[in-house]
Amino acid sequence: MLKYSLRRSLAVVPTLLSLIIICFFLMRLAPGGPFTSERPLPPAIMANVLERYGLDQPLHIQLWTYIKNIVFHFDFGPSFSQRDYTVNDLIAAGFPVTLTYGFWSAVFVLALGIPLGVVAALRQNSFWDYIMTGFAIFSQIFPNFVLAPLLVLLFTLALGWLPGGGWNGGHWSYIIMPAVALGTSYLANVARITRSSLLEILGAPYIRTARAKGLPERTILIRHALKPTLLPVISYMSPVFVYMITGSVFVDVFFSTGGIGQKFIDAAYTRDYSVILGLAILYSVLTFVLNLLVDLAYAAIDPKVRSGLK
Amino acid sequence: MTLLQAENLSIEFQTPDGVVKAVNDVSFSIGAGETVALVGESGSGKSQIALSVLGLLAGNARTSGTVTYQGKNLLEMQQNELNSIRAKEIAMIFQDPMTSLNPYMTIERQLNESLEQHEGLKGAAARKRVLEAMDAVRIPDAKNRLKAYPHEFSGGMRQRIVIAMALMCSPKLILADEPTTALDVTVQAQIMALLKEIQRESDMSVLLITHDLGVVAGACEKTLVLYAGRVMEQAGTLDLFETPSHPYTRGLLRAVPNIQDAVGDLRSIAGQPPNQMVPPPGCPFAPRCENRTEQCDRELPPLVGDIRHQRACWRPVEELV
Ligand SMILES: Nc1ncnc2c1ncn2[C@@H]1O[C@H](COP(=O)(O)OP(=O)(O)OP(=O)(O)O)[C@@H](O)[C@H]1O
Ligand SMILES: [Mg+2]
Repeated sequence: MLKYSLRRSLAVVPTLLSLIIICFFLMRLAPGGPFTSERPLPPAIMANVLERYGLDQPLHIQLWTYIKNIVFHFDFGPSFSQRDYTVNDLIAAGFPVTLTYGFWSAVFVLALGIPLGVVAALRQNSFWDYIMTGFAIFSQIFPNFVLAPLLVLLFTLALGWLPGGGWNGGHWSYIIMPAVALGTSYLANVARITRSSLLEILGAPYIRTARAKGLPERTILIRHALKPTLLPVISYMSPVFVYMITGSVFVDVFFSTGGIGQKFIDAAYTRDYSVILGLAILYSVLTFVLNLLVDLAYAAIDPKVRSGLK
Repeated sequence: MTLLQAENLSIEFQTPDGVVKAVNDVSFSIGAGETVALVGESGSGKSQIALSVLGLLAGNARTSGTVTYQGKNLLEMQQNELNSIRAKEIAMIFQDPMTSLNPYMTIERQLNESLEQHEGLKGAAARKRVLEAMDAVRIPDAKNRLKAYPHEFSGGMRQRIVIAMALMCSPKLILADEPTTALDVTVQAQIMALLKEIQRESDMSVLLITHDLGVVAGACEKTLVLYAGRVMEQAGTLDLFETPSHPYTRGLLRAVPNIQDAVGDLRSIAGQPPNQMVPPPGCPFAPRCENRTEQCDRELPPLVGDIRHQRACWRPVEELV
């Protein structure tokens, strides 16, 4: 399994390199630059600025310097729009924020969604089954950009229980609403997927075999049915995890968390090449790592996949 | 002594298209140490009869009649009482070894969980019993295969695992649902011999389900021939083979290639089993029967005859000139 992970990690290096190169050129293809503004800078100053950031060099030299700095110094360069900040600084400031509420959002989604789906499947057409269906419809009617203001309306303005925005070093009261707003629609999907997956598994012949052994239903559910039930949930969550910990731009902006989604928007507005590139690389690495983790989780559950990994 | 007795067992399924009458008025008994065969074409209701004994029918099934085991009707038993009988007293060998094993659990776990459930056996003691059972069904290199998963075994080996699983708690009765259909002929013979041997050693009763009369010949004392969920004929196996009374039985015997009595050409029975949603009023086999009369189409023949040889037919073979 370790060997497999290493092999996968090595295979991702060329992918990352091509990604950097493509992003690098795409960004420069777009008209304008980080220092174009309504009122053009005097040519002498412009030249100075360009020199300071190495933008006066030929493109291939710029690219080479950029890659060299990343590989040897893990340095993603200075931000073009926020003086005195490096890309590393900005990521270090924003990423822990999204990682934190993204993590709790994932916990919220799984810890509630899976049990809800299980109960709905075991008690079809019961109260909890209807709750689940209702919830699924609710989350379709209220996507996060509608839900977030409603949450603030209720918990901040009406009840005064939770702060309506900010981060405050990640105090729990600041995490709840971003996490809930981010997770609700996924929660409904996870519950729905769990329900139909479990219903299908419970009809499988091997569950009947387990019943024929005289095992109590609870044992059958936990020992025999749960693992295979979770496989489609894991598949579904794999891209969602990436999305969650890289932060929803909307949630970041709406709750002013100072997360990385906010930084991405700022960078896009100001054509901050280095920040956009740095974030794109961060996203790709995260996508890769999470996909690997999901594949490993799959292998942990399914022995057929496991023997395929050897 | 009678171990299991089914009386007027009927099973029907509620489906969106209507009620499917899968099993109708079936009665039989299995004595201690006895092997009874249940024979019939695909869809004749064999598996459902076995499943009903252990309360394993699908959710849309309704049963009537009784299946008595040790003085109690299994069809009306509470879940937890039933659980104490499953695997421990009555075990089942399932029809399809490819799907009836859990692909996500090791063989050892699947074999030892009934021991844990019924005898509280764990650890080394349980492992010893698992290895014994694997040896009994001749799974080679058992010790090194405990941690293997079902997909790592061939079909024949999986079938043996399924059999070992049923044997774990030394049940008094085994419901063997086509234990050899998934296998090629040589392995079939091995498995049947194996079952016979284990049965002799432990004085176990077996309900052997099959559509292959060839398998029945050497292995069973008594045979029930089922058609469209009804008993067509029931008799001692020898008797049945020598003097089949029902045209359907005779047809089945003719379709068996390796039986001495069935000399002459090998013939299959033309036609299809009837629709079980709206069964025809008369004998269910009538549309396919060579000897049918007008009465056969109109009236359902009752199961009659000496208790040792019964048949449901208006014009049994022996009455034809
Ligand atoms: N859940 C169900 N709902 C509706 N009909 C069912 C259901 N389960 C079984 N049946 C019907 O019951 C009938 C008998 O099925 P059964 O599985 O007992 O056949 P069988 O004799 O074991 O055949 P085979 O040799 O193919 O295993 C079939 O016609 C089948 O379609
Ligand atoms: Mg069957």
